[in-house]
Amino acid sequence: MTVDPNAATQNFPSPEPARRTPGPARYLIPALVAAAVAVGLGVYGRTHDPAGTAFNIAGFSSTGAVKSWLATTAFFFAIVQLVSAFMVYGKLPGPRWASKLHRWSGRIAFLVAVPVAVHCLYALGYQTYETRVMYHSVLGCFFFGAFSAKMLLLRSQRLPGWLLPLVGGLVFTVLTLIWLTSALWFFHTFGVTT
Amino acid sequence: MKRPGPLITLLAGLLLGLFMLSLNATNGTKTVASTPKKESPAATASPAPTKTTAPPSPSPSRTPVADAKYTGRTDDDSAAVAVTVHDGRAVAYFCDGHSKESWLKGDVRDDGSMRLTGENGDKLDGTLKDGKRISGTVDAGGGHYAFTAENAKKPSGLYRATATVRGAKVDGGWIVLRGGKQVGILTSDGNPKAAPPIDPETGAVTVDGQQLTARPVTP
Repeated sequence: MTVDPNAATQNFPSPEPARRTPGPARYLIPALVAAAVAVGLGVYGRTHDPAGTAFNIAGFSSTGAVKSWLATTAFFFAIVQLVSAFMVYGKLPGPRWASKLHRWSGRIAFLVAVPVAVHCLYALGYQTYETRVMYHSVLGCFFFGAFSAKMLLLRSQRLPGWLLPLVGGLVFTVLTLIWLTSALWFFHTFGVTT
Repeated sequence: MKRPGPLITLLAGLLLGLFMLSLNATNGTKTVASTPKKESPAATASPAPTKTTAPPSPSPSRTPVADAKYTGRTDDDSAAVAVTVHDGRAVAYFCDGHSKESWLKGDVRDDGSMRLTGENGDKLDGTLKDGKRISGTVDAGGGHYAFTAENAKKPSGLYRATATVRGAKVDGGWIVLRGGKQVGILTSDGNPKAAPPIDPETGAVTVDGQQLTARPVTP
């Protein structure tokens, strides 16, 4: 058998068999997973009896303080995310490792936010008795759905150029609002204290 | 091949979340001592099968009685009363902040009236009006009191903590009134006294140098 040097390489254009246009699955699966995550968290928070438990870390006055500082840390890394994203897309001058910075600051922000969210859902539940907590509850669930969508979309090769920045921007905006309705409120009410 | 990073990140987050949840489920706070299992209307930490928590509704709802919390004082201002309604059942706590307290429980009828009973023949007769307030009478601590309890929002409400602290069985009940004032009694080996304040956001309270968690009470 001869080798044709002009033939397309084995995995070109994509591993998908005989499909000309990108299938809807690449959008549908992330969207469905995102919805399942968001709704699932909300339902858990709503039906589970809030336990009112506390976790305390030496040096902090209360669980609220621990969570507010963890949330602020996550928010700080989210800002690093925003800046590094601009660098990756060339809107800001940045080093070659900007994308690496983006990925890792994102991972740190996400993992730091998880314990805070777990406590919120487990000990406080999904509440609507006040506007602030209502927004926090809704946006909190939405955030993890949106973040899941962003992660899953990243696995697709061919996406419209505006999609990742849009979803990324949405994740950042929602996290900001979540931070405003919790940590900022806490610092405003109890003072910027540990 | 499709990059693995994003999926691994999601998985890491999920595992971390489940790990923290299991920590929460097996051990409430870091320093709580063994909790004696009492037959009491204290809330537990495990998720309940099919409980739905409906927000308090100002207008008569289609479901029998909406879940809600009520706090208030007796008409003679000598004691506080708190009632938590959930799934058609209610638990109430009468507390003067010094020595008189009583836990009561019972069913709430569809028309909002309730007769709750406790030890020593203590009873509470009340009527829920418009989902906004409960008014009635309490017979407890040897006295007869009229009271009114208004719909309360978190962190107001009814809390309880039971534990063993330095070998003594400790049972504390707290009513957090609107405005933040707390009325509570801590009974240590059968001796009641005014309870130390709790952090209503988290339920944290220090008793004899030990940190306990007071949980919201549900029937």
